Amino acid sequence: MNFQKMYHTIWCKLAVFVIAMGILSIAVFYVSSYAPGDPLQSFYGERVEQMSPAEHEAARQRLGLDGPVYQRYLSWLHHAVQGDFGISFKYKEPALDVIRALIGNTLLLGSISYAIVFILAIGLAVCCALHEDTWIDRAICKIGTIVFYLPAFWVGLVLILLFNVNLGWLPGSGAYDPGQSDNVLNRLEHLVLPMLVMVISHVWYYAYMIRNKLLDETRQEYVFLAKVKGFSRFYIVCTHCLRNVAPTIVSIMAVSVNHILGGTYVVEAVFSYPGIGHLSIESAKYHDYNLLMLIVLITGALVIASGLIAQAVNERIDGRMKTAEGGASWNRSHRSA
Amino acid sequence: MIKENSLEIRHLSLSFDTAAGEIEAIRDISLSLHHGEILALVGESGCGKSVLCRSVLKLLPRFARIKQGNIFVKGMDITKYTEKQMQELRGTILSMVFQNPLTTLNPSMSMGAQLREAICRRQKLSRQAADTRAAELLQLVGIDHGMQRLTLLPQAFSGGQRQRCALAIALASDPEVLLADEPTTALDVTVQMQILDLLKDVRRQTGLSIVFVTHDLGVAARLADRVGIMYAGKLVEIGTADEIFYDSRHPYTWGLLSALPSAVEQGQRLKAIEGMPPDMLCPPRGDAFADRNPYALNIDYEEAPPFFEISPTHQAATWLLDKRAPCVVPPLCCRQREL
Repeated sequence: MNFQKMYHTIWCKLAVFVIAMGILSIAVFYVSSYAPGDPLQSFYGERVEQMSPAEHEAARQRLGLDGPVYQRYLSWLHHAVQGDFGISFKYKEPALDVIRALIGNTLLLGSISYAIVFILAIGLAVCCALHEDTWIDRAICKIGTIVFYLPAFWVGLVLILLFNVNLGWLPGSGAYDPGQSDNVLNRLEHLVLPMLVMVISHVWYYAYMIRNKLLDETRQEYVFLAKVKGFSRFYIVCTHCLRNVAPTIVSIMAVSVNHILGGTYVVEAVFSYPGIGHLSIESAKYHDYNLLMLIVLITGALVIASGLIAQAVNERIDGRMKTAEGGASWNRSHRSA
Repeated sequence: MIKENSLEIRHLSLSFDTAAGEIEAIRDISLSLHHGEILALVGESGCGKSVLCRSVLKLLPRFARIKQGNIFVKGMDITKYTEKQMQELRGTILSMVFQNPLTTLNPSMSMGAQLREAICRRQKLSRQAADTRAAELLQLVGIDHGMQRLTLLPQAFSGGQRQRCALAIALASDPEVLLADEPTTALDVTVQMQILDLLKDVRRQTGLSIVFVTHDLGVAARLADRVGIMYAGKLVEIGTADEIFYDSRHPYTWGLLSALPSAVEQGQRLKAIEGMPPDMLCPPRGDAFADRNPYALNIDYEEAPPFFEISPTHQAATWLLDKRAPCVVPPLCCRQREL
């Protein structure tokens, strides 16, 4: 019966996923269609202005931009289901190919920043919890809050000014120097500043949340019992408290996926880092619908999936979430027997 | 020192420094706990019983301050011990069980893991050996099939079982002094009796000394060798169980004993001690109990009474025992009671 139940749960989650994606695609399609501006401009550039109205109309037809919005959406959906997401007006290639070339850069920046942000956040939180009410905790909190409120783009510009323009230590734009795309060191060098901005602008938000959660936990009575057992505060915070806070951390991590992904968009713009964040801003600016739709859908899928994964991970960490259900089903099966 | 006591407290005073002022939680308490003895501390809520227990473990909030006095554990003066030194003592020589079994166990850790943690404090054992020992401990506290239950989370156990598990954890490292802070208060009467008998059994088997904090005289009578009565941060009377229950001298003890349901004849209203305990932010001059004491003398409002010795084991702090005091006859129920 457990398999049946699991099957059921998976189907439910898939249905939620598909419905969410559908709503998302409709919303983005409509909003971008009604946004002012001429998508032809991204395809034909300057030439649009010299076109006669008839040519203009013909061009729209060729690109599939005529007809009412719902019709265009249905046709887009029809193709999308078959794996054809249309062409990018600006790059004049299939949208999928354009993204494929750049998504790696964003995922690299995003995932490394993500990992560093959370490792650092947990570390800072534990450090604060260990030194509650001492100058260490207070100093970290004050500095963290100040740093958190610095706007990311400003931090980016200051870092470029400092490390690139003045000191010349690190490159300030791009993902790699021309012709160096396979050089790992060169890529890492380009990653340092964008990553720094990502970490600076995100870490405290999460560190503070985890810190407060941990402090709540250290007030619990089981902590007292652990102290009676003779353990140090460090041991207790790291093994007992973190364990109980872990589900919260995982949930925060799931929610933060879109937050950090959104952060990469800003950072990519500041550092002209060729990633999908940069691309999405561009595609919105030039009304490159097909590209925009694809980016939004990929981002959306990532966010929804991370939520579902977090739930699964939580059930693994904290036995209570699972056994609550297991216990209930045990009762049920006994009652029916 | 003639005999080395497991625990000895000498003239301990402890205050909490709060924003409202200094709260004198413990005022000049001296007591000793012999090897293999059960001492019950009885008193109203807020009289400092729990604080006394925690001060032995030095697990007090940061604003607590030991003003004077010394605490000796097995002859060692631990008053000035650092946190690091205390960690060595906790879980090896000293151990504690708490009032609320539902919150003292880590909810996300299996019972086995929590037991193993405590077992491995004293000796490094393999996982299997530790599991075997854990199952033995559960057997000792009356939980069968311990081996199979080690993987369960605390939520799978009932309140009484959890308290037994907490006791098993406390006993895991063969402590010499167990501080039991109202371990039976949150349990129903049947389970309470089982736990008390269990504590007695364990004492017989391991020679453990126990400080048992309670506000239930019945529990103290069933369990304790000696009983200490506390009021407003002070020890007011201490003696063997017999001396306290059959020959008490302090009016507060009389009040407590008269308030027992068994002390009142059928059909009569239960007795209570009039009034409220004093506010420890500004403790009254003289005897703290004077305001509620029907036998109070004038001097009680002026000066706190010293300890008068009734027998080598029995002391009480009341001016009634001074040779100048008038002769007072204690209430009937305190002279001839059957418990």
